[in-house]
Amino acid sequence: MPSDERPAAAAVPAVPAIELKAVSAYSAGYQVLSELSVAFPERRTSVVMGGTGSGKSALLKAAAGLLLPGSGSVEFRGVDMARLSRKEEAEFRAKSGFVFQDAALWSDTTILGNVSMPLSLHKPWMGKSDAAEAVRLIMKRLGYDGGMAMRPADLSSGEQKMASIARAVVHDPDIVFMDDPAVGLDEDATEQLFSLIEELESRGKTLIIVTNASEFAYRFADMLGIIRDGRLVAFGPYEETLARAEREPELRLERLKARGIRAARRRRESL
Amino acid sequence: MNILERLGSSARERGSNLLYGLGFFWNVLKETARFFRKSQVGYKVLIMQILFTGYEALAISAVMAVAIGAAINVIGTNLLPQFGQSQLMYTILIIVITRELGPLLTAFVITARSGTAIATQLGGMVVSHEIEAYVAVGLNPISYLVVPRFIGVTASIVILTVYFNIFGLLGSFAVVQVISPMPIGEYLRNLLGTLTVADIVIGLIKAAVFGVIVSVVSTFQGFSVNRASTEVPVAGIRAVGQSFILIILADVILTLVQYA
Repeated sequence: MPSDERPAAAAVPAVPAIELKAVSAYSAGYQVLSELSVAFPERRTSVVMGGTGSGKSALLKAAAGLLLPGSGSVEFRGVDMARLSRKEEAEFRAKSGFVFQDAALWSDTTILGNVSMPLSLHKPWMGKSDAAEAVRLIMKRLGYDGGMAMRPADLSSGEQKMASIARAVVHDPDIVFMDDPAVGLDEDATEQLFSLIEELESRGKTLIIVTNASEFAYRFADMLGIIRDGRLVAFGPYEETLARAEREPELRLERLKARGIRAARRRRESL
Repeated sequence: MNILERLGSSARERGSNLLYGLGFFWNVLKETARFFRKSQVGYKVLIMQILFTGYEALAISAVMAVAIGAAINVIGTNLLPQFGQSQLMYTILIIVITRELGPLLTAFVITARSGTAIATQLGGMVVSHEIEAYVAVGLNPISYLVVPRFIGVTASIVILTVYFNIFGLLGSFAVVQVISPMPIGEYLRNLLGTLTVADIVIGLIKAAVFGVIVSVVSTFQGFSVNRASTEVPVAGIRAVGQSFILIILADVILTLVQYA
């Protein structure tokens, strides 16, 4: 993967990569998102934090078009996703990848079959051997050295998560949605994941991460949001959200404030 | 909530489910038309479905068909001479096996085997977010998961019905050999002399309709699972119950149309 400098703020397109407009959503009869509006900028890393049951996963799935809003709209680069044609939706899927919280690998398929699926769908010109090599490389990059012919049930939850992450990025998408991506990973694998995210950032990818781990925020967040009870109570540039937290203690960002300001400063200096 | 409100709420929910089911069926038909136009990764799923639903059910269908054919022959051979109607034996065999029991029993076997398997498998995939993962990579779950099962189950029931008919009539011949031996040529001549194209066509139409019912109901129930693994066996039970009821209703309607 080529390594470029992260684009300067001026290079960020005015139209957000993904924008939710007054989205309310329901799952199994319960309201999981309530009139939520947010714009995730292109080529930036947005991290939304929230506790268990706060609506993080619902927000991410709504943003990725996996959870249809009951009201409101979700736009991909300014186009309402509900109005995408079949071809346009296929293009969106080719340009995006999704890491599920619980891996969500296809149990009846091998690891190779799971991770290579986006390649066979979106880059059919790649031969089987090239696709297998691409899968092997990305899995190795994440620290997986097991067999590619194994089924998900044969792997540990951490290894399954690695395969899920690999499946989301193997086809080199522009936008990567990550739902608690470090859950289930050991320390080494988490470091490999951080390294992968840094690489994706350096290549100008749009990352949208929802998590309850503050580490992602202070390491990567250009934009930081807080979600609670299906409502986005804060969203903005990292430092601004932290500054808001100073004034609004109910945002409960103590841990992030303690460790995050220094990291943010370091991060700013590196840009 | 009083009794009237409960009834109203239940009726509204059922009406809404029915509309949702019809919408699902319409989507399946649309995606089926596309399936043959485009090269699909779903072909592998289709082959697996035909193997499971059709090939692996050959043995149980054969045993059942031979037993039913034999039973009809034993009953007919003992009962019909009492009314002086021994010559009706072949007509009864053809009507009961080819038009009625062939498609009906095959559909019941497939419902019990494949209907439950499809509903519980898809339900499990919903719970483990595998369906969402298909959507996330750009695969339409209807075209990739439902259509191959729809085509596979329907084609399998039609083929298995023909297979059932052959074994049912052969089973009858086996009993004939025990009761009053006759050359196979004569038996087949009598049988084929009675068999009409309408018998075959009606049996196959019924089989195809039953196949559509089993596959659509089972996939619909599988997708109806929301989030809990405890919903998965419930989906299986509903798939079987609803399929049985709809198959019997369809059978009655098709029989009424046939004799109208």
